[in-house]
Amino acid sequence: MADINPLVPDLPLRIDPEIGGPPTAPIGGIPPRAGRPASRVGRIGPVAVLVLSGLFFLLPLLALARFALQNVPTIRLGRSTLFDKWSLKGLTRVFSDPHFGPTLTLSLKLALGTVALTLALLLPTAIWVHMRLPRMRAVIEFITVMPYVIPAIALVAGIVVIKPHARWFLNSDYSLIPFYVILALPFTYRSIDAGLRSIDLKTLVDASRSLGAGWGTTLRRALVPNLRTAIISSAFLTTAVVLGEFTIASTLLKNTLPTFQRTFVSVNAQAGYGFNLLALVATTVLFAMLTLVTRKRGSKASRRTDKQDPFQNDAVAFAALSHHQAP
Amino acid sequence: MSGLLYISVRKTFGTNVALQSLDLDVRDGELISLLGPSGCGKTTALRIAAGFEFADSGAVTVGGADITRKPAHKRNMGMVFQSYSLFPNLTVGQNVDFGLRTRKINANERKKRVGDMLDLVQLNGMANRYAHQLSGGQQQRVALARALAIRPEVLLLDEPLSALDAKVRLALRDEIRKIQTELGTTTLLVTHDQEEALGIADRVGVMSAGRLEQIAAPSEIYSNPSSAFVARFVGSMNELPATIRGRDAVEVAGLRIASPTAAKWTDGDKVLWLIRPEDLRIVADGEPGLAATVVATTFQGASTVVSLRLDVLDLLVSADLSSSVVAHLAPGQRVSVQFDGTRAVCEAASAPTMVEEPAA
Repeated sequence: MADINPLVPDLPLRIDPEIGGPPTAPIGGIPPRAGRPASRVGRIGPVAVLVLSGLFFLLPLLALARFALQNVPTIRLGRSTLFDKWSLKGLTRVFSDPHFGPTLTLSLKLALGTVALTLALLLPTAIWVHMRLPRMRAVIEFITVMPYVIPAIALVAGIVVIKPHARWFLNSDYSLIPFYVILALPFTYRSIDAGLRSIDLKTLVDASRSLGAGWGTTLRRALVPNLRTAIISSAFLTTAVVLGEFTIASTLLKNTLPTFQRTFVSVNAQAGYGFNLLALVATTVLFAMLTLVTRKRGSKASRRTDKQDPFQNDAVAFAALSHHQAP
Repeated sequence: MSGLLYISVRKTFGTNVALQSLDLDVRDGELISLLGPSGCGKTTALRIAAGFEFADSGAVTVGGADITRKPAHKRNMGMVFQSYSLFPNLTVGQNVDFGLRTRKINANERKKRVGDMLDLVQLNGMANRYAHQLSGGQQQRVALARALAIRPEVLLLDEPLSALDAKVRLALRDEIRKIQTELGTTTLLVTHDQEEALGIADRVGVMSAGRLEQIAAPSEIYSNPSSAFVARFVGSMNELPATIRGRDAVEVAGLRIASPTAAKWTDGDKVLWLIRPEDLRIVADGEPGLAATVVATTFQGASTVVSLRLDVLDLLVSADLSSSVVAHLAPGQRVSVQFDGTRAVCEAASAPTMVEEPAA
């Protein structure tokens, strides 16, 4: 028994029956575990963490909801007024603001433009990287994370420098699109990358081309349909980034939804926070939908290839959600 | 006429020479399998025919027309891949239809051809299924139907059976051959499985290190290998140190054995003598031959592989003999081994590969 490595106690003990005693565990079977009874603490621990962190997130939101939906002066908000004068007016007042419509429209247009530009640039690039430069994948992934690591204000500093030379460009509301493409890159690239990893890209491309399809047809008929999940989630994530970005829009004096949101809050606190609450609920619903869509398709895809990583999209979605800061 | 011709095709990847200078003539309607270990260039040769890679120099023609620089999608090649390559978003029928749609063939004709092709691979009831609802063998059949639907000039098969389990592999191999003969499609198959290559092809090309070592009918490759590499790669070989004696014999551990291959060498040359396990005979101890001890017997049904240790050379050899002949043998038994050198091959003794145990 002296030969058995004490550093690896979980290895099944292999004792040649001709030499030593009977094996203490079936070879290749489940190794005997050091007896640690499934203690109550072990079970309560995770639940407690979950409850506490849940409260940590929920309590401020509930407070926000109370502030926005109860028609009671802040000074009188207390236990006695818990059930007084609840109303949805705080939520809907934003719709009557004349600036709401145009800023929402602009933000949606920007989102659409950003999604379109992102996909047009990223999809062919990512496919090319996967096909021709597989070894560069880690490097490119690292580069795409940079916008997440570098604060938006650094990008703004850059914009300030080029502003005098590029007024013709920056004067347009749509000049925000390229910046948003960059800001969304950490999420969109990873989402597309995960999608590409879940299919046998090279074989599908080769098969399609050998059947007479050029690159356009191959992309349209053989790749995009199989990357639907990745494309949808990258579109959702881009939208989330665009609808939440304040710094650059504000620097360039654009009237997007987040800049409007900031002004609106300072003018009418209750309605402003009501709108924040609404935006939060809408975003949550959006991501719940995203998760559902990707889950469904993800499980289908994993049956096909066994390669899909179902957590990838959720993780990305969560990252984006936490990135989406209500001002 | 749609023969596939490689003329001095060379291909390098960086410093790695994938194909040195390949000359290969796949005649119209013929099935050639390229056989070789991984990295020998066989897949590169296939991908050059498909247009996925382009030759550095040399030319490729199909039916006399030069296609060396033609992009993949403008060639008329049907290809079946090693990994499952069906488009997962399309049904079986739509997969088979894919190449017909890109060729803008009219709807009626397409429908008819898809039906015909699925009939051909015996999957007529499955047009509406998706790839993930099919077994591996069925998926490869659909891939075959899809490749044949476009009526390709050349059918390229890139290890189409290697992902399948043994039984399905055998059945599908026969089916591919049957369909190929029926349609008379010029076909190039790439495989590392010698049994597959020998069993399906009109001619087998054995490749090594970017070169075509030998191309010949399967039986010729097996019984008359042109080099020691081919001999070793196709089937298994016993390797014995020997000395050339005269024009037609070798001497192994003092035993003179007739071996026509000796004619290529000069008297007294030290060589490695390669002989197939089935060319060994086991006789009673004391009879002429090399004295040996039976080490083990492996029953394989009709034949039994007997491992023997030769006394003089202290070398393991294996003999593949009819089970009924060697039924009485048991490990430890003393015997005498005789050699039929008609099909044996010689290799210069300096060659580094001195395999102790013959591959089973």
